[in-house]
Amino acid sequence: MKSILITFDQAYYERIVDMLERNNCRGFTAWQEVQGRGSIKGEPHYGSHAWPSLASAIITVVEDNRVESVLKILHEMDLATPKLGLRAFVWNIEQTI
Amino acid sequence: MSIYSSAVKRPIMTTLCFVAITIMGLFSLSTLPIDLFPDIETNTIMVMTSYPGASAQDIEQNVTRPLENTLNSVEHLKHITSKSRENISVITLEFEFGYDIDALTNDVRDKLDMVESALPDDAENPIIFKFSTDMIPILMLSVQAEESMPGLYKILDDAVANPLARVDGVGSVSISGAPKREIHIYVDPIKLEAYNLTIESISAIVAAENRNIPGGSFDIGSDTYSLRVQGEFDSPEQMSNIVVGSQNGKNIFLKDVARIDDSLEERAQQTHTNGKKGAMIIIQKQSGANSVEISNKVLEMLPSLQKRLPADVKLGIIVDTSDNIRNTINSLVETVLYALLFVVIVVFSFLGRWRATMIICITIPISLIASFIYLAMTGTSLNIISLSSLSISIGMVVDDAIVVLENVTTHIERGSDPKQAAVHGTNEVGISVIASTLTLIAVFFPLTLVTGMTGVLFQQLGWMVTIMMIISTTCALSLTPMLCSQLLRKDVKHGIVYKIFFTPINKFLDFIDYVYGRSLDFVVRHKFSTIIVCTAIFIASIGLLKFVGTEFFPTSDDGRLGVSLELPIGTRVEIADEVTARLSDEWTKKYPEIKVLNYTTGQASSDNTFASLQDNGSHIVSMNIKLSDPGERERGIVEIAELMRQDLKNYPEFKKAQVNVGGSRGSGMSGQATIDYEIYGYDFEETDSVAQQLKKVLQNTKGTADIVISRSDYQPEYQVDFDREKLAIYGLNLQTAAAYVRNRINGSIASLYREDGEEYDIKVMYAPEHRTSVSDIENILIYSSAGNAVRIKDVGTVVERFSPPTIERKDRERIITVSAVVSGEVPMNKVIETTQAAIDKMELPSGIAIELSGSYEDQQESFGDLMMLGLLIIILVYIVMAAQFESYSYPSIIMTSIPFAFTGIFGLLFLTGHNLNVMSMIGGIMLIGIVVKNGIVLIDYITLNRERGLSIRRSVIDGGESRLRPIVMTALTTILGMVPMAVSTGQGAEMWQPMGVAVIGGLTFSTLLTLFYVPAMYCLFAAFGVKRTRRALRKAKGIKKTKKAKKSKAKKQNAKKENKQIESPSENNSTIVIDDNNADNNDNETNDQLPNDEQK
Repeated sequence: MKSILITFDQAYYERIVDMLERNNCRGFTAWQEVQGRGSIKGEPHYGSHAWPSLASAIITVVEDNRVESVLKILHEMDLATPKLGLRAFVWNIEQTI
Repeated sequence: MSIYSSAVKRPIMTTLCFVAITIMGLFSLSTLPIDLFPDIETNTIMVMTSYPGASAQDIEQNVTRPLENTLNSVEHLKHITSKSRENISVITLEFEFGYDIDALTNDVRDKLDMVESALPDDAENPIIFKFSTDMIPILMLSVQAEESMPGLYKILDDAVANPLARVDGVGSVSISGAPKREIHIYVDPIKLEAYNLTIESISAIVAAENRNIPGGSFDIGSDTYSLRVQGEFDSPEQMSNIVVGSQNGKNIFLKDVARIDDSLEERAQQTHTNGKKGAMIIIQKQSGANSVEISNKVLEMLPSLQKRLPADVKLGIIVDTSDNIRNTINSLVETVLYALLFVVIVVFSFLGRWRATMIICITIPISLIASFIYLAMTGTSLNIISLSSLSISIGMVVDDAIVVLENVTTHIERGSDPKQAAVHGTNEVGISVIASTLTLIAVFFPLTLVTGMTGVLFQQLGWMVTIMMIISTTCALSLTPMLCSQLLRKDVKHGIVYKIFFTPINKFLDFIDYVYGRSLDFVVRHKFSTIIVCTAIFIASIGLLKFVGTEFFPTSDDGRLGVSLELPIGTRVEIADEVTARLSDEWTKKYPEIKVLNYTTGQASSDNTFASLQDNGSHIVSMNIKLSDPGERERGIVEIAELMRQDLKNYPEFKKAQVNVGGSRGSGMSGQATIDYEIYGYDFEETDSVAQQLKKVLQNTKGTADIVISRSDYQPEYQVDFDREKLAIYGLNLQTAAAYVRNRINGSIASLYREDGEEYDIKVMYAPEHRTSVSDIENILIYSSAGNAVRIKDVGTVVERFSPPTIERKDRERIITVSAVVSGEVPMNKVIETTQAAIDKMELPSGIAIELSGSYEDQQESFGDLMMLGLLIIILVYIVMAAQFESYSYPSIIMTSIPFAFTGIFGLLFLTGHNLNVMSMIGGIMLIGIVVKNGIVLIDYITLNRERGLSIRRSVIDGGESRLRPIVMTALTTILGMVPMAVSTGQGAEMWQPMGVAVIGGLTFSTLLTLFYVPAMYCLFAAFGVKRTRRALRKAKGIKKTKKAKKSKAKKQNAKKENKQIESPSENNSTIVIDDNNADNNDNETNDQLPNDEQK
């Protein structure tokens, strides 16, 4: 089992939830409004006067074999609309209940 | 869930909600009555008290003064004026506008109850009379007749007046100019004397002969019959055979001493229409009824009424007030539609996409239509004010939608899905959209709080715009995002048409952006010079004020002229008729613009409601002229009026002549303005002479016309002075003697002649040829109770005297008003300046004061109100902006752009030759809100840039460049929305032209200047801000201004050199300079977030 943390511009939210569904990743936890900015050139998402846009985050725990395909789709999404901003991070799950 | 996300998620609900609003709005529109102005509640109450037999001075002392003293304490009283003339005192109470007149009437009644006991015993109870605009006739019909003239009154009464009075909403229908039938018994005094008869005895006999007397009932067999004596005359001729006495055993018949004349009233008004004799029918409406509706119904009825009349009687229309209303409203509707078209064109050419244009333009009709619901709910009408509000708002209601759409488009371009883009895009700008609407509401809402006459007018404007703004914001936050999510596409492919049309437009706009960017760069470098130049322009524009005249309301051209002419007092009506006929012939030939010319001469009978309210008398002529529609003629109404005034100078017969634009003098909002000088003083002769001097002054002043002194002349009259001793010798008293005189000259009403259910007076009097000289009166025989006859000349003398004129008072002092019409060639304030200078030179007797009133007083009051309002609005707008920016200084920067709006207003008013009046002032007040909007957009984006870490100068230049289009676009929509108002030539256009001109001038100029001035000011303030923060920081850290400062100075100089070589944005600048002396020069290099960095 691996967990994928996906942080992205709010506008992606529905598309990503939809994509997870289609990839048989049922479980996820989402934060509708989170703030942050990219490490290199990503525009800040602060929900402030200067940077009004906001980001969302989804964490999903999936079978190892799904990770690859999910990340691939996410990367395609990011490439299609680079200005919005989308990042995904994967790490291992040690234990679950 | 926010309003926009639910709107996007539920498009059907959103659409249907707005469809419902639109349907309700359209339904309301269909029920709205049409009128010229909003309902203006009456603010005057008249108190009439008659005291028969008292002279003007007695009335003043014993009736008017006690009443005035008591009534003066009624609340909200503005002025109390009175007229005391023989037999009657008329007090007019003028109240402040906006109070419930019914409550005030009750107060007045209470006060009258208190004072009644103090009035003379013979004085009758005071009558309260409320005057309202409803009494102004809405329709005047002309009637031309030839053969039917003698019976015209009856014909009109039966066939026209009665059916019209049954029309719903018609208050009263009066006929003037058609004398009523009257049967005269013209007696020959010589024959009477020969037969020892008197008028009184003949009267009594005629009355006794003309009777129907029931004789009771009696039984014949099994039936009961009633018994009657039917003695009433069947025809007037029967009277000639009445026996009135006997002489030497022979009967004397009436025909022996008199002739029967079955004709018309002797003293009656006569009306001529277009040179032909006829009558006039005056229709007044019931209070609160709608003029246009009534006039429509009446006009519909006219053809069928015409059919019922004899062939020679023709009905026509002299004045139809609804005609003016309809034309005015139609031309205003046209203006609104043009404004709509212009705004759509602007939006389309800036956005370049039809879908986007459609989304934005949908908000316009919805907001406008929704405001009709308000009109229907409050029971008001579609009038000049409500339609002007629509025209004003068209340009403003699109602004919010544009902001939302622009941001949503940005999101879509960044790659968002239209649905997501609509929600998030709206979310980002929601607050600023609401804030900018609030600034506009801060301007328009206070309009609902204005008092006075201007308040009555502009309350509606305030409410309408406020409501439209709220609806348009709601639309922008719900409907616009929903439509964006449905209609906007992610990838827009442009067709060839787009390329042909919009490539040049886009290139041009890009070029403008570039030029503006470069000039901003220059301005920011030379901020002090920029500010000085701008301030200099503003100060210079104040100089323009000298050349821009002021007035109250513009004179509007409703194609109606009222001319009132006065011959020397006591002139016979025949002479008045003859002169006026000549004048009317001349005018009809000279002015082809005249469509109907109608005049009335003579004294009105007392049962004519309309005529008896007006001045009338044998020497007074009143004329109504209807001109063709303003669009169809070249000469304006003011020009024609002026020419007519010149013509009247060639008629020395007329002692006073007034040509009144709009029908009546000083009729508030539409007629020509008047300047009234009030001369207060007790002594008649002194005030008279001052009035004459003042009249001369006004005559010599350019720009005045029709100067009138209110106090009428002493009226010449004959009085019979009886010698009481001599009367007593003959066993007579004064009353009996006076009754003899009256019955012979005025006639005694003997009885009533009945025919077809109508009653006509039978009057016994001297034949006209026997009452034409003083000796005729002197020879009147009076019989004592003993039957002895004596002539008047034996018991008294007939002398010619002058009766004192009406005594006028205002605010409890005697007054004469000298009033002049402002003819228009010179603005009102100039005329007043000149006359005031001359008055100051006049030597006034002690105790006499001259005061200015009339339109000038109203103007001063309204201007004062509007100034206060302007101040209130500025404060409110400041509060809204300070709250939005969370800063005291930014709103101040934006506020400083307001004066330039006034520069533009004065400039354009001066260039177009308009005056500063209430309408242009309102335009100016609206500008406060519209102008600051530009500043808000600019400053908002500049601060955003600074928050994103740009330097002050970069923020200003980038912000300016990127906000130029939205600013120009919103300014253009408002300006072009106003253009149809400013250039329209339709009926009533004079009224709103100044407002359009003011907004266009002010907004154009202030937008242009704001684009340079505000950035320069911003740089200045921001630099101060940075300095202050640094000083505070230094204090906190305890850094001394020692070596470090010197070092930094050196560093700064180096930096300056570098900067001259490469001018680049310094986004990641981290130079630390702590030297407040140089902060100002340094702001472009210094990152303004630097204090934060230092804190870290």
